[in-house]
Formats: sequence, structure tokens, C-alpha cells
Amino acid sequence: MGYLKDERPTTIGVEGGWNLGAYHYKGSRLLEEYVAGLKHKKLTGSFCPGCARVIVPPRNLCGRCHRKMDGRKTVSDRGTITCFVVSPPIYKGKLKVLGMDPVEIGLVKDGQVVIPVFVKFDGSDSNTDTVLLNADPKDVHIGMRVKVVWAKELQGSLADVEGVEPI
Amino acid sequence: MEGKSEIVEVKTFPFPAGFNWAVGPMMERFIRTLAGRKVLGARCPGCGYTYVPPRSRCGQCQAAIAEKDVVELSGKGTLISYTNAHVAPDGNGNLKDLEKPIVVGAVKLEDADSVLFMPVEGVKPQDLKIGLAVKVRWREETKGAVADICCFEPVG
Amino acid sequence: MKRRNVAVIGCGQTKHSSRRRDVNVAEMVSEAVYNALEDAQVSAREVDAFVVGNMPGFGGVAQPEQWIAESLGAAGKPVLRIATGGTTGGSVGQGGYYVVASGLHDMVVAVAWEKHSDSKEAGATTGLLHVGLGNFFHAAGYGLSLKNLVATSVVGAAAGVAVYQAMFYMHRSGCGIEHFDMVAAKARRNAAKNKYAHLQWPGCTAEDIAKTDIVTYPFRYGHICPASDGASAIVVAEESLARKKAKQPAWFKGLASYTDEENQLQSENFGGVGVTDPSEQRGCWLSAVKAYRMAGIVDPKTEIDVAEIYQPFPSQELFFAERLGLFDEGTAWMALETGETEIEGRMPLDPSGGVNATNAIGSSAMQRILECALQIMGKAEEHQVPKKVRNALAHGWGGVTNYSTVTVLGDTPGR
Ligand SMILES: [Zn+2]
Ligand SMILES: [Zn+2]
Repeated sequence: MGYLKDERPTTIGVEGGWNLGAYHYKGSRLLEEYVAGLKHKKLTGSFCPGCARVIVPPRNLCGRCHRKMDGRKTVSDRGTITCFVVSPPIYKGKLKVLGMDPVEIGLVKDGQVVIPVFVKFDGSDSNTDTVLLNADPKDVHIGMRVKVVWAKELQGSLADVEGVEPI
Repeated sequence: MEGKSEIVEVKTFPFPAGFNWAVGPMMERFIRTLAGRKVLGARCPGCGYTYVPPRSRCGQCQAAIAEKDVVELSGKGTLISYTNAHVAPDGNGNLKDLEKPIVVGAVKLEDADSVLFMPVEGVKPQDLKIGLAVKVRWREETKGAVADICCFEPVG
Repeated sequence: MKRRNVAVIGCGQTKHSSRRRDVNVAEMVSEAVYNALEDAQVSAREVDAFVVGNMPGFGGVAQPEQWIAESLGAAGKPVLRIATGGTTGGSVGQGGYYVVASGLHDMVVAVAWEKHSDSKEAGATTGLLHVGLGNFFHAAGYGLSLKNLVATSVVGAAAGVAVYQAMFYMHRSGCGIEHFDMVAAKARRNAAKNKYAHLQWPGCTAEDIAKTDIVTYPFRYGHICPASDGASAIVVAEESLARKKAKQPAWFKGLASYTDEENQLQSENFGGVGVTDPSEQRGCWLSAVKAYRMAGIVDPKTEIDVAEIYQPFPSQELFFAERLGLFDEGTAWMALETGETEIEGRMPLDPSGGVNATNAIGSSAMQRILECALQIMGKAEEHQVPKKVRNALAHGWGGVTNYSTVTVLGDTPGR
């Protein structure tokens, strides 16, 4: 049977734009500190003096006990997958990233499957959002042990962590 | 306090979100009729208040206003207030200086109760006054678009 | 302090659809308001005040209430605008309760809406950018790579954190993707019995949904809610007016709205997230516990007769039903196999089709309250549940994916 249709007349449209890049956003220096660590293959987290949780990348305030997370702790670059999702094969013309085709500009191979994951790095109490590399989608499971794939040339940038791969 | 601020300015780049607002049937009729150099209004069947452009609900008495309540107006009116604008938005969150100031007027059309805000041209600054009789100046080629009304100008 | 008894005495909606370009936003919202006034048999003049809301940024109008007020009959009256993300409609409905229960006003209209088709971008893109763009720019300044953005886009295509929630829920409950098919089919089937709903598919089956392609595992295209245009409104009144105007008012018995720590992909400043399972939704159960206590409900499993759960994605109907105490932890999916959550089942969930079939975001959580009111008043027509409804549960979910509104409506004001 399928979906019922709702046909309606269309009236004239008045066009307009809203430049969302025109806002003056402010951020904290925490990410600067985090990427400085990445340059030396160090994952920095913030430590909560109230509940002892370690959050990676660092945050200013603890979301549960609202204490200032002044402490710092370096956590392992090995960890456990707490959750994953799997894309269908990404073909040319299927996906847009910032208006660009990721296959056309060489970010993924034609037909490649992308596996976004949450990783809990050993010594941390948070999920870090990244991507699983060098793995067969059939083998991925919650609890899978992984380690960071570091960029060949470390630049002190978020791109220094290319993703994680199975140990 | 340390010398370095804990807050950093976030670099952004242009990220335009586009909109295309549907105007509804009453406003559509108003816009299309501009092609024939006519200005339409709508007279509330409940209280007689006349809106320009026409609309489908009266803000004064809450009566529904229908297509049959649409009336044709003369396009002439009276300036009831005005201002000189020296700057305009630059589309990037800031203001830019205009080459020469423009006059924006509040015009009450004959037989209408609501007010249109439009540029007023063809009048010397010393002649600008509340109560000035004005009329629509049409774009050379009208095609049924809001921009068909170029501005208002003094009558005669 | 004594709270006054308050009830919903009239409900009004627009037909929801992907492109309501036959009307402008003012006309669309006023359609819902005047439908509600007609249902309550009151005139706009008798209304003391208006509580309104939509998602900031979504329709591309910064303060829509200012220019649509006249079309709603709100000119010259107190207007309170509330925006709390996806929960906006839930907060607007609760706002209607607050201003009447407090004694500030005797009768108000609460109305919520969204008009996605006024945006040129697909779905809710523009609105979501308003929420997440600052964080993205911040991360981009520290070298977030395009390669990583591919992963973000893959997750984004399946509605961000919702697809992770689904995976977490499957893992800890044993539920399978076929159960998501069943929820989505039920939503489309029920929506076909609700003349105001968007995705209406008479007799839709789980097999129909299972034929649709995967967006990002475990979500299929057939699992995803639409982006709808539409509005919904309720007339809210204090006890003496309510008894005079309505044969069966739908009484507000208990309500609450709690938030929790952020649980999106990244927190503010691109920091890590302390909630390691985004389907944990502590804000939801805190709200439920509080609302039940206020309503005098001890055992929601037996005392709640019908629930309207905010479920843009089928997994959410399941874990929120558990957070709301309607099913034991990890068991809601089993009820699908026995038909318990169907319109004629023991615990009907989203008989209207819910958010999975109709998602005009600002309006969505308001529709849950409105649908519960219809069930209590016996006005739900084809999707009326075939039993006496004493207590109905309306849930909303939003904020930055950590916030819930819970409202218990009943056939008596008694606590
Ligand atoms: Zn803490
Ligand atoms: Zn009137």
C-alpha cells in the first residue's frame, strides 16, 4: 500500500540567508593543552577532585558534581570500544562532507565502510568519539580492545589521532 | 592571574544557511498583483480595519479574513514618520557605512489602517516632513515581485 | 503553597506534512490555535495569555512570536516564549500549567510549532547547526581533520547520538534490529489512523520496513522520523472554568522536567563526555519519579493506561518506556512480540504514531501532551484506545539530548 500522499498548493517563497559563521564564538584553552599533548603521543584528561572521574579530552567542570576539574591525568592510548555504528559502503555521490564528496577528494576509497566508535581509553571514565581503522566490520564488537593510530607526522593537532585499530 | 587569558576567540568561516519562507495565499495574491501596478489590501469583515499587505486573520478583532475581503488601494498615501539611515547590515554580523544616507518612511496608504515601511526618494531633506503626500514609484518593469515597488516619492 | 487544579479543555492541530507551503508560518500556527479554541468552545477574547515556542533558528526567524502574535489572537496579551530544544513543546505545555496553577491567569493557550520547509537545507540541518556549529568551529581551529568529519557525517546521517543510543540499548537488552522495524511499522500504521499525522502507511508491517536500506547500522531509512511542518495547541484552564467548559477535562496531575550531564558526541569546548551510555537518560527517570509522586502514582505499570513517548527513532520508544517505569529494565522490546504496545494492547505506546511518524520538532513534545488529553477526553477518534483512560503519560526529549519533560494527565484532578 505504501504512504498516503498529502498534496498541497505551493505559495511564493521569499529567500534569505543567515550566515552562521558571523557569530563571535569564544572557547577555552583546554583544547590547546590537549593537542599540545598529542604532539608527544599523550592523551590528556581532566581529573575531578569530587568524583575522581577522568574525562578525555579535558573539560572545565564536572557534569555530575560540578567541581572545577583542575587536575590533569595522562591516560593510555589503548582502550576498549564501548559502542560502534557501521556505515553502508560509501560510494561516489552518496555523502557530502562540508559540501564536498569524500570519495572524490580522496578521504575514503569508493565503496569503503566507515565505523565510528566510542572508545574508553584505559585510565579514563569517558567516551572519546573517533573512528575504527584497519578492521573488518564483521569482527567489531563492544568490548573490543583497540589502540590509537597516530599520524606519521605529529603536528600538535586533533588530526594527530587518525583513529583507533584492533590490538 | 596568569598573563594568558583562558578564553580564546574561535575562528569561523562563512557558513550560510538558506531560507525560503512561504508567504501564504493572501501575500501571494498581493505580490502577483504588483505586476499590474496595483496595491492590494484586506478589509476585516469584523471591524473594518484594512491591512496592507492583506492577511488572513485580524489582529484587532481576531476575525478570519478571506479572499473576498481583498480590496484595491490607490497607491497614494501619507508619510506619518521617517528616519535617515546612514548604515546597513553587511551580512556578516556588522554594519557598513552607506555611500549616502537613505530615507526610510512609514507610509499610511489611502483607505488603509496599517503602515508600510519603505524608502522615500526624490525629496530634498528640507522638504521632508510628517504629513507629506506620497505615492508608489514603480520599477520600470514590474513582474509580480516585492521589488516592483521601488520606493515612495512625493505626489506631483 | 497551594497549587490550583488545572486541565486541558481543548486541543487543536494542523495536518502535519513535509511541505506546508500552502500557508506562511503565522497562518499555520493560527490554524492550530483556532482549532483548539473551537474544540474548547471559547473565543480568543476569553483567553488571558499565550505560552508559545518553537526551536530557535529552525524556521530562520529569530523571534517568530513577535510577528505571528496578531494572527494567534495574542496581540495586547501576555506572551511567554519558551525554547528548550526538542522538548520545547513539552516545556510550552508545562508552561501553560505553571501560569494557570500559580493563579496568574485563568485560561491560556499553549501552542508550539515548526516549519522545516522554510529552510533550504535538508531536514533539520539549519537548526542543528545552530546547536553544534560553535563547537565544530572550535575543533576545526585545532586541526579536526576532514577524515574524522566523514565519521561525524556518517553518524549525523543517522541522527547523531540516537544511533549510538540504539546500539547501546541493543547491547544491554538483547533487542534486535527487527524490533526497531516493528516499532517503526507500528508508528506508521497508527499514524494512518490519526488524520493529523505525517507518515501514514495503513497496515504497514515490520517486513515493509525491513526492506528499506541501512543508513548507518543499526538504523534503516524506514526507522527515521520525517522533518514535518505543523503546529499543535491546547487550551488550559483552572478548575471552575474547566468544569464549565469541558465534559471531560484532561487534568494535569503531575509533571517534572530534569536535565543531566551532556551526553552528545562531544561536550562544550569539544571536551569528553562523562555519560558513557547516552541511552542511560537519567533526566528522564528523575522526571518520571517526580511526576508520579506528584500525581500519586505508585505503580506506573498498572496505573498508566496509555503513553505517548517522544521517539523520533524506534529504539527510543523502547528505552524511554523503561526509564518511565512502564517496563522492567531491558524488557520493553519483548512486549512488541506479544502486541502489548498496540492501540488495543495492555500498554499502548504512541497510538497517534508518535514522533517517529510526525516530527515538527517544536511541536512534537506538545503533541504528546495533546494526544494524552485526547485519549482522556475520548476524542482520539480512530486511534482512541479501547479502554477507560484514567492516567496518560506524555514524555518529551531534547535539550542537548539530556533533557526530558514528563507530564501525567488524568480524568480527575485528584492526587
Ligand atoms: Zn565530578
Ligand atoms: Zn477585525
